[in-house]
Amino acid sequence: MAFFEQEIHDAPTTFLSKYVFSFDHKVIAKQFLWYGIAFLGIGGMMALLIRWTLAFPGEPFPVIGPMLFPHTGGVVPPDTYAMLFTLHGTIMIFFAITPILIGAFGNYCIPLLIGARDMVFPTLNMLSFWLAFVSAVLLLASLFTPLGGAAGGWTSYPTLSTLIGSAGVGQTLWCLSLFVLGVSSTMGAVNYIATIITLRAPGMGYFDMPLTIWGLWLTAILNAIFLPVLGAGLLLLTFDRVFGTTFFLAGAAATSGSGDPVLFQHVFWIFGHPEVYILILPAWGIVSDLLSFFARKPAFGAKATALAMTSITILSTLVYGHHMYSTQMSPLLTQSFMMLTMTISIPSAVFFANWLGTLWKGAIRFQTPMLFSLGVVFVFGLGGLTGLYLATVSTDLYLHDTYFVVGHFHYTMAASVLLGGFAATYFWFPKMFGRMMNETLGKWHFWISMIGLNGIFMGMMIIGHAGMHRRIYNPFVYEFLQNLIPLNMFITISALTMGAAQLFFVYNFVYSMFKGPIATQNPWEVGTLEWTIPSPAPHYNFKEVPVVKCGPHEFGNPNLSGKDFQYQTEELVRA
Amino acid sequence: MAQAQAHNIAQAKEGDKVISTIAMIVTLVSFGMLFLTLMMGFAIYRFTAPVWPPAGMEKPSLLLPTISTLVIVLSSIIYMSFEKNVVKGMADKRGLTWTLILGVAFMVSQFLFWNQLKSHGIFVSSGIFASIIYAFTWIHAAHIVAGLGLLVWLYSALKTADSMTAVKVANVGKFWHFLGIVWIIMFVTIFVL
Ligand code: HEM
Ligand SMILES: [Cu+2]
Repeated sequence: MAFFEQEIHDAPTTFLSKYVFSFDHKVIAKQFLWYGIAFLGIGGMMALLIRWTLAFPGEPFPVIGPMLFPHTGGVVPPDTYAMLFTLHGTIMIFFAITPILIGAFGNYCIPLLIGARDMVFPTLNMLSFWLAFVSAVLLLASLFTPLGGAAGGWTSYPTLSTLIGSAGVGQTLWCLSLFVLGVSSTMGAVNYIATIITLRAPGMGYFDMPLTIWGLWLTAILNAIFLPVLGAGLLLLTFDRVFGTTFFLAGAAATSGSGDPVLFQHVFWIFGHPEVYILILPAWGIVSDLLSFFARKPAFGAKATALAMTSITILSTLVYGHHMYSTQMSPLLTQSFMMLTMTISIPSAVFFANWLGTLWKGAIRFQTPMLFSLGVVFVFGLGGLTGLYLATVSTDLYLHDTYFVVGHFHYTMAASVLLGGFAATYFWFPKMFGRMMNETLGKWHFWISMIGLNGIFMGMMIIGHAGMHRRIYNPFVYEFLQNLIPLNMFITISALTMGAAQLFFVYNFVYSMFKGPIATQNPWEVGTLEWTIPSPAPHYNFKEVPVVKCGPHEFGNPNLSGKDFQYQTEELVRA
Repeated sequence: MAQAQAHNIAQAKEGDKVISTIAMIVTLVSFGMLFLTLMMGFAIYRFTAPVWPPAGMEKPSLLLPTISTLVIVLSSIIYMSFEKNVVKGMADKRGLTWTLILGVAFMVSQFLFWNQLKSHGIFVSSGIFASIIYAFTWIHAAHIVAGLGLLVWLYSALKTADSMTAVKVANVGKFWHFLGIVWIIMFVTIFVL
């Protein structure tokens, strides 16, 4: 705890030092937020292009189609389709969700919620953003190479992703881009871990940290451990592509000793399964806090929640094999992975029960951040339950690579993480920009998004259960799928609805930043440390480093007088 | 007031020590996972291949890799004594210089080794065994280059010697020893066994 007090630096004065090459975690957080929102837009447009193709095969995409694909009169061409789902997945996971949850809210919340003046390594922090920027440039550049961007899926399995499967430079740039992004995230992780261990305000033990910080901390640990695994895989894949090695090329056996394409899958999922938790843990932490804040009740079993999160983190490293049941793994292995995967249900159930316990008999305030948090509870419940079918070997063999998988993982990571990100944005906006977002627009955004999102992902699960494969340009060439066209249209219309709902958000965000009503210091009446300082937070955060005297969720104590919450800097009120 | 400030500074120094040590350990865990993944890949190729090295390849001569091993081990040992001196407060940079020289010698031995392979017609694309040898040694060598950078940086850090110096020396040491250990593991598993 608070190994030392950081000094107060002079405020930056030039435009460059203030907004571009800033060392201030709050500015870097905003940079990551813009970055993430921009990519959310790009990835979202790509999703619409994919969905349009599936609902109206052979018809030109309205308005922008003819501009993008003039040689086909606006119809998405088949090879472009492969590129679109690859980049949609890549962008959403690595360039939208990760920067928003971890880059933006990790940077924003960690120092503020633990009572520090900045991260321990501000320079590293800045470098980490600019490396992420370089990585984005590499990825976008890949779109303009002669054969187009990567098209081997976001998992980039060989041999799709070797020179044999995709000859263009696009795939190589994809590998390099993700490698650079991995370095950037690892740098962030080192910073987060060290900051949380050493800069907690005096008095703040690990269990006095808000659960948001728990989520971010566990995420950083997973990042530090598992990103290098992907890094190794990407290096070898790049060598295969650039230097003619044969790590992942089967069939070269006769002449020169064989490579092994399935090895890449192992490496990918040893990283990939924890990655799913890397995405979800910050959202879980944030939601666990927000549910308590807006139910005006102490988080039910906060300690158990933190421990459940920790055990899920540990277990998440042991279950990657459930992504590979259909690779002819030994049944001995599939059974073990199935067992381990099911074990995760136990801490997850604890966790989920605690969320419900927090809500139980709460004096709930249905403000926008709370609506989004409740949305997370709902969609994560659905996503978690459908996961059981994929964790079970016998059902997975049927469902694997159908739209059921797509629906499931969108519920867990796309929907719930996205909603968690929105909850966080609405919640911390006043502290970030000193103004309030509009509640009415926020509610419209929430409800229309919820309707659209459930239409999309529920629909995906249904068509998947009916046998529709994923990653196919025109599945309706198969007769047995032709009667799914109307359902596909429904999904696409839901997607357009969901896309339209985001316009409420963008308008609300930009308008409120400049014109929203001025926020008070503590508009949500919450006791964590960031609400003890002015909005927006000054560049040094805390003039006096706060001393922590109680936990983050002290609500509704009957002995409190005048207000129903107390600040973490206040002595716990006892009868 | 002055006293409080002095106290703050002392505390900050204490904090810096803890932080840089935590940061170095996390970094090494990261690098460790990178090499662990490579070794896992190697193990799978090795254990699923009916003969090793596969497809009529021959193992390269052990001479140069053995020299590399001796050089890097020696550099680590010398660095340890240098580290001890720093802790004792002796401003003796000879150990650092020798570590640096041996580090460069290690790189030279690697270049010679790659040349030797090439002159025997073994290229990085000559099959999985050659791919492993080249790719793994390249990745390791890239880290050695970073390590040499850190050693050079230590010279400037030693100029303004204060209580942080020993921490810096210890942390650079952790990185350097780590690279030595990785090399020994690679030497034994890929070249000897
Ligand atoms: C809400 C709007 C979204 C819609 C309508 C949507 C739609 C789609 C569609 C149609 C596919 C193609 C599936 C296939 O071809 O088999 C897909 C793939 C994918 N999506 Fe989304 N998506 C959305 C948001 C997200 C978000 C927020 C994420 C981030 C976590 C995400 C992650 C992925 C991934 C990883 C893939 C797999 C890509 C691949 O097969 O390589 N999506 N999505
Ligand atoms: Cu998984």
